Amino acid sequence: MTSTPHSAGDDEDLLVAGRALVRSYGNSPALRGISVGCRRGEILAITGPSGSGKSTLLLCLAGILRPDAGEVWFAGRRIDTDSEADRSRLRRTRFGVLFQFGQLVPELTAGENVAMPLLLAGVKRRPALTAAGTWLDRFGVADLAAHRPTEMSGGQAQRVAMARALVTEPEVLFADEPTGALDTLAGEQVLTELVRVARQAGTTVLMVTHDAKVAAYADREIVIRDGMADEGAPTSALRGALGRVAAR
Amino acid sequence: MRWPSVLWLATVGGRADRTRIALTAVGAAAGVVALLAAATVAATGADDGPYTSQLLNEPGLHIGIVIALVLLCVPVLAFTGQCARIGAPGRDRRLAVFRLAGATPADVARVAATETGVAAALGSVLGLVVYMVGRVLLGAPVAATYTRSTEVAPDVFVVEEVTGRALRLPTDVLPPSWLIAVLVLAVPVAATLFALVALRRVVTTPFGVVRRQQVRPVQVVPAALFAVGTLGMAGFAALVQLTGLETAAEELIAVGFLVLLLCTVVGLVLGTAAISAQVGGFLARRTGRPALLVAGRRLVAAPFAASRSNSALLAVVLLAAAVQGFRSYTLLSQRRSGTEFYARALDAVDLALVVAGAVAAAGLLVGTLEGVLSRRRAAAVLTAAGVPRGVLARALLLEVLLPIVPATLLATVAGVLAARGVFGTTIREGVYAGPELVDVTVIDVPVPWGPLAVIAGGTTLAIAALTLLALPVLRRSADPGELRTA
Repeated sequence: MTSTPHSAGDDEDLLVAGRALVRSYGNSPALRGISVGCRRGEILAITGPSGSGKSTLLLCLAGILRPDAGEVWFAGRRIDTDSEADRSRLRRTRFGVLFQFGQLVPELTAGENVAMPLLLAGVKRRPALTAAGTWLDRFGVADLAAHRPTEMSGGQAQRVAMARALVTEPEVLFADEPTGALDTLAGEQVLTELVRVARQAGTTVLMVTHDAKVAAYADREIVIRDGMADEGAPTSALRGALGRVAAR
Repeated sequence: MRWPSVLWLATVGGRADRTRIALTAVGAAAGVVALLAAATVAATGADDGPYTSQLLNEPGLHIGIVIALVLLCVPVLAFTGQCARIGAPGRDRRLAVFRLAGATPADVARVAATETGVAAALGSVLGLVVYMVGRVLLGAPVAATYTRSTEVAPDVFVVEEVTGRALRLPTDVLPPSWLIAVLVLAVPVAATLFALVALRRVVTTPFGVVRRQQVRPVQVVPAALFAVGTLGMAGFAALVQLTGLETAAEELIAVGFLVLLLCTVVGLVLGTAAISAQVGGFLARRTGRPALLVAGRRLVAAPFAASRSNSALLAVVLLAAAVQGFRSYTLLSQRRSGTEFYARALDAVDLALVVAGAVAAAGLLVGTLEGVLSRRRAAAVLTAAGVPRGVLARALLLEVLLPIVPATLLATVAGVLAARGVFGTTIREGVYAGPELVDVTVIDVPVPWGPLAVIAGGTTLAIAALTLLALPVLRRSADPGELRTA
């Protein structure tokens, strides 16, 4: 189950695919024609050193950034040519996004933060907050529903952020260094819960990390170096093992 | 830490820091120009001039101009205070790094205060230059028709209309040098002291800046102050009569009025925080609309931000409404003797209020932009998660308008009630048959509904328009591309 530069976007099994993606920031190239694909229900880790382009790749695949060249496909449809409004709608309805930190609205309570995507989808306040409570419960932080992010630890805030990313039951979760701001123990707990919930819901997960241990929770790992897939790079020896444990 | 080091650390920084320093300097310059202009008018005597403006030709009206110019400094100070918050998160991080590198809390406070002091000193010098250059540029007399009053006997004046050459401003008068020096020095000293006082609530640790717990807005005190002030002013004439103060010194009556005015303004400003928290909390607990939810929760979380931004503008609205009430009274009571002079004088006051309102609105815009920039990561994450930018824009608009609309209405009502309370709601006019008084008619002073609607509605619309100016910045700062660099 490896991705090749030629298969992305052609393979009908792929739920998310990027083909020959190029993206620069000014004169600094971040992606140099990389292709990558991810199947439905798969947990894919994108690893590489700092500045290798892995976050840029994730943002392009999630429709947050538009590549300078190349194509991004989701569920058999090309999305990089969609308008900003259409890509926003896609992220709101079918994707979930999770970042390292600072992703909760500090003035809202945990329950309101989690309910936000549902409110945006037109769900009424009471059922939205009820659903938010259910998701907070799945991540073990239901008792924090009335608390604000400033009243939580980093691990608790990240659990709330995961609940918010998954509350709409998205088909794909894009996670950029989801445990980067947490200590080892909190990071492992958060990842274990993330993988368990994603497996139960059948959610596809694309996860950027520079931590080999985090990559071990994934079914598959691709390594990026200088904006290109490094086919020969060693991947985590434990790849998939921790993910299978977490799913139990 | 040595002073050269303090000065260097105070002035290093990025674009936001340079913008803050530049705007602080501009605010200080405007303040110095207003104060020097006030000092010039105060130094203008009956022998100076003539001037194209009747206000300047009447020494008895000079005190009003001086008070108006000094009051103009209030929105200027508020503007400067808002500017001091630009780039505050970045500066806080920088100060925390200084602490990490071994600076003491006192060193950090000196660095922060020095930045403000240096910026204000530069602005002071700039203001002095603008004042001096302005005297030269506007110093040439122009052809004009003006009135000249001559005292022909004690308290008996002959007013005549003269056509000739007159000065547009009192550029022929220079205040005493010592007063100029005091005013130019007073602004940076006051700004530095203000910065030090503001930093009392801030503790800079090596790990960041900690602001001492913000006090929740109380509701009873501002409501009581506002009620006492407004009702006191509304019934001022009756109150003076009732307490027998009408025979007391005019100064005592003026002090009493100023105390009531101060109560009203302080009650209004503090009350805005309470209104923000109450309205925000009420809506946030009930709404299912994301924009309203975010706006409401932000108002609850930082209720003093709204009152800080709006205070100068609300003071201007209150004064503007009072001036409209005074205009109604004056034009009605002087209609027999001709209203042109009074109308022109009040037009000049209106113009001063518009300038003050514009400065206060600029301060509000700076506050709004600072709020947008300090929350840009949260906005970028929300956009990345698919939250439409329209929701963020509506949240910003609601956050600004929700407290200002009720507060503007209260300020307008308080202002017009004050004018009607002090000057009265009726005038009595004698009906004469030859020299003999045969009857007295009582005429109601009309409530200036039109101008009041313009003040309240115009302020709200102007603030909405200003907030719209902040939307492009919100749009840029909510760009998810920001997340890559964070």
